[in-house]
Amino acid sequence: MSTPAIIVVIISFALGAILALLMIPVLVWLERRGAGLIQDRLGPNRTNVGGFRLGGVVQSFADVIKLVLKEEYYPKHISKGRWLMMLAPVITFVSALLAFMVIPFADNITIAGESLRVQPLPVDYGILWFLAIGSIGVIGIFFGGWISHNKYSLLGASRAGSMMIGYELPLGLSVLSFVLTYNSIDFNTMVQWQSQTLFGFLPAWGMIVQPLAGTILIISLFAETNRAPFSVAEGESEIVAGFFTEFTAMKFAMFFMGEYVAMNTASAVIITMLFGGYQLPWVTTDTLLTNFNTFAWTLMVVLPIIVTLIIRWMRKNNRVRPTVTSDGGRAFETKVLSIAMITMTLIVEGILLYLTLIPSPLGSSIAVTLFQIATFVVKLMIFNLFFILVRWTLPRFRYDQVQHLGWYYLLPLSLFNIFVTAIVIVGVSL
Amino acid sequence: MSQRVKVVPRYGDTNKEKLYLPAIFKGMKITFKHLLDNVSDSNAVDTLEYPEEQPSDITSRYRGLHRLTHREDETIACVACFMCATACPSKCIFIEATEREDGQDEKMPKLFAIDTLECIFCGFCVEACPCDAIRMDTGIFSLTGNSREDFVLGKEQLLSYRGAFGEETSCARK
Repeated sequence: MSTPAIIVVIISFALGAILALLMIPVLVWLERRGAGLIQDRLGPNRTNVGGFRLGGVVQSFADVIKLVLKEEYYPKHISKGRWLMMLAPVITFVSALLAFMVIPFADNITIAGESLRVQPLPVDYGILWFLAIGSIGVIGIFFGGWISHNKYSLLGASRAGSMMIGYELPLGLSVLSFVLTYNSIDFNTMVQWQSQTLFGFLPAWGMIVQPLAGTILIISLFAETNRAPFSVAEGESEIVAGFFTEFTAMKFAMFFMGEYVAMNTASAVIITMLFGGYQLPWVTTDTLLTNFNTFAWTLMVVLPIIVTLIIRWMRKNNRVRPTVTSDGGRAFETKVLSIAMITMTLIVEGILLYLTLIPSPLGSSIAVTLFQIATFVVKLMIFNLFFILVRWTLPRFRYDQVQHLGWYYLLPLSLFNIFVTAIVIVGVSL
Repeated sequence: MSQRVKVVPRYGDTNKEKLYLPAIFKGMKITFKHLLDNVSDSNAVDTLEYPEEQPSDITSRYRGLHRLTHREDETIACVACFMCATACPSKCIFIEATEREDGQDEKMPKLFAIDTLECIFCGFCVEACPCDAIRMDTGIFSLTGNSREDFVLGKEQLLSYRGAFGEETSCARK
């Protein structure tokens, strides 16, 4: 392997780890603040380090400290196999984490004539890896429910298990119709296929080409991540807390964080397969590279506008009401964050200006890659927000409704969709 | 009779409703609108930022912390009749009576304690009192302490609170 290849692999692996792990506190915060704002309240906004609240993200770190320092407790009735109680959340967490590792964050970057994948695990069978590793997570849930020696836990675990069977089929079948459409099992090829246009004006996103399979995929992924409205495995209104009833402290936190990593992975897969991955609509990587100057100038105009809007929003919202006397350091925080953002914008503008004035193929391809990574992160956040919005909108399905939906509607529909897709593909290729 | 029957419409039979998705998007539109409104102006969210902001809607009928009322000469109005202790459902009022020497009444409490950790703030003691000697109109809604003993309020402490709504003295014992 050449030096640039090693560097790209290391950077994309670090990026994958950061995007999966550092996203957990952000997602926990987003969930709690989002739930609050949806329900017309504020959510956690007090915790701060030296006056820096960052909108309340610091709360998540305080939560982690609390969970780490909690007593390591095992229920008395569990005499044998305590190590399984440690292992079970780890399985769930790690499988969700590993499944994230095949998502391409940007298009292949060409350095010195070598095309390199910007993917933590540079494999070309991404979707198979995701299906294989993603479904291991339920084993952790099952271990957790079984080892608890508790009827609620066992009920929750068996619900998770049977729901997994019920929804893995439509998931696999809808993925299959996408594999047929894109004619590939590689995530990056899928994204490249999606950067075409349909009839000359529509972006050929998976959701537009295959709306039925796309809907089934999204629904099955919701079920796969055990999130509302399919959170019957937890089902706290019926079976206490389901499979993690007996789990405390960091063991519980691993399950909890695993849920968020799984949600993050699911949104990454939804983006990659249905919504054009790291690409903006109508813009392929080649377009960006050949028209680099136009792209750079557009970015140089758009970026300050976005930053200005963010700063204005911060000035308006990061302050206390007139009735409250103590500011709590919010004005100072706004000032520091504004200066930091303006400095970063200026640095980015400088780099872009340099690249337009002194063109270099390597510099422009790195800039395009970074831009695609940024696009990916923005899309990822939008879909995480979608997951959160769904959770705080819909009530939980009853357990039989979940099974009914899976077996009687999604499975036949996905089979039908494969049938139609295959006929169309054969018809087109004739 | 038949005119009073109200037929409740049954939903969920049409194909559109069986599809679930239109209704889901309708619901998500509402929640997203709330989210967007509150994100764009978070100070307009109608919550009370306690403790910086204190509630302003405590009325004179609010059952706050108890107090013992005074007569006009600032002595205790209570006559130690034990009505409140009898009415108390959580048995948290402890009274020990003694003879009253100044001639206004025959009895007065030597000891009057309320265990606020036991108290359920039902207000039965206030209703039971024939002398208007115990009231819950201090407007105090939060009581803090470092030990359990801090929450057992004695006679002096109960007498030290003043009514928050203008009525200082007992209406029944002048």
